[in-house]
Amino acid sequence: MPKHDTPLLDELEKGPWPSFVTDLKRQAETKPECWDILGQLELSFKDKITHWKHGGIVGVFGYGGGIVGRYSDSPKQFPGVAHFHTVRLNQPSSKFYSSAKLRDICNLWEKYGSGMTNMHGSTGDLVLLGTRTENLEPLFYDLTHDLNQDLGGSGSNLRTPSCCIGTARCEWACYDTASLCHHLTMHYQDEIHRPAFPYKFKFKMSGCPNDCVASIARSDFSVIGTWKDDIRIDQAAVQAYIKGEYKPNGGARTKSKAFDMDADVMALCPTKCMRMKDGKLQIDNKNCTRCMHCLNMMPRALRPGTVKGASILCGAKAPILDGAQLATLIFPFIEINPDSDYEEVIEIIESIWDWWMETGKNRERLGETMQRVGLPTFLKVMNVDPIPQHIKIPRENPYVFWTDEEVPGGFERDVREFRKKHAQ
Amino acid sequence: MALSKDELKAAIIDKATKAPKPQLYVKDFYACDPEAKPREVKNVANDLVKEGKLMFWSSGSTTMYAIPTRIKNEETKNQSND
Repeated sequence: MPKHDTPLLDELEKGPWPSFVTDLKRQAETKPECWDILGQLELSFKDKITHWKHGGIVGVFGYGGGIVGRYSDSPKQFPGVAHFHTVRLNQPSSKFYSSAKLRDICNLWEKYGSGMTNMHGSTGDLVLLGTRTENLEPLFYDLTHDLNQDLGGSGSNLRTPSCCIGTARCEWACYDTASLCHHLTMHYQDEIHRPAFPYKFKFKMSGCPNDCVASIARSDFSVIGTWKDDIRIDQAAVQAYIKGEYKPNGGARTKSKAFDMDADVMALCPTKCMRMKDGKLQIDNKNCTRCMHCLNMMPRALRPGTVKGASILCGAKAPILDGAQLATLIFPFIEINPDSDYEEVIEIIESIWDWWMETGKNRERLGETMQRVGLPTFLKVMNVDPIPQHIKIPRENPYVFWTDEEVPGGFERDVREFRKKHAQ
Repeated sequence: MALSKDELKAAIIDKATKAPKPQLYVKDFYACDPEAKPREVKNVANDLVKEGKLMFWSSGSTTMYAIPTRIKNEETKNQSND
């Protein structure tokens, strides 16, 4: 029996798609607090303002993250959600679970929480929605002791690292994303569970430039698989696509018209580095920007090269303060070497952190700090020489700012000597 | 580090006790020992949490540090104002 009238929310059940309102009503049959979620949301729709308050001293002992405190601002009206804290669980790399593990987590959440989940949050964690403060420690004990499962990151911590499915299931992956993700998760446990930085810091790892975890848009430290040598071409398979023997785009193409090599592949190459000559596909690999379009269209004909590694990009973020920002390429190619325990990646991460912890302002993401100090300064900090790939377009203004050390002889000069050459 | 670990701990507690607001960013503690690396200061602050002398306070998106009695009083005051 509904506890609150929800005419506005009920409208959301009338569309063609499954509705969370229906889910909440079903869950409310065993978890009555879900009626209060519906009631409070209905009130928010009426008032056009949120009735959630968040933050506070909730958490489990010794952890500065993983629990996000959430309270109703109308606890007398909606007592079931007076406390409604969110719990973030560290998802396994590439989000591979056994169904038994998911059942165990759900059973635990039925015991200690509302039973409502969000799989997965945009950070990647398994998100358990809604519990009371007094349930947190018992839940954490059972999670860690019975399920061998830890909390994820929140607040100014390192957020739970996340990655695509990588070499586990994808032939385009240029490195083992799950392995790197797991290694960094274990290596930086302290940073995940306790605040370390001016603001949040996110790692995301994609195996190829398709970037299935959108690391270029969402992470402060983005590791995107790439290759150094030439795209591998199977000329017979190219011909099979042209003749219509293979379906383009792995069969996912919705266009009904026949595959057209010129229009569907070469005309869409951003650098126009492809051509057909004597019935053979040629690629000017030096000009390829790894957009992946041709590989996506003809996966049986084209494959990444064999000298594989990753590009490192820094500073992406969602629009909180200054608007959304895509990551900036810093290292075009590094080797991703598990034999050295990913030493090269860790060295880069820690030089960024050492600098950002000192230079970053409170609540300033890495990308905002980079923008504030300028890319040249950041490149100097990272000890990287500028290269054409660091810039999007040639500069438009004529002023070039040199530092004293960059000018032979510095800025100190004899004016009389200068005037001898430049008569007034 | 110019200060010993215990001296730094004392300086952090002093700062957290006297600061106008009960919640402090980790960066606010850097000034306690300007010669220490930020990660060293962070580790000492986290040791104080383990000892129960500081506790974490989270806004949801940012985690800060506070003296337990000070922040609990503040939270109680806020709840009674609601």
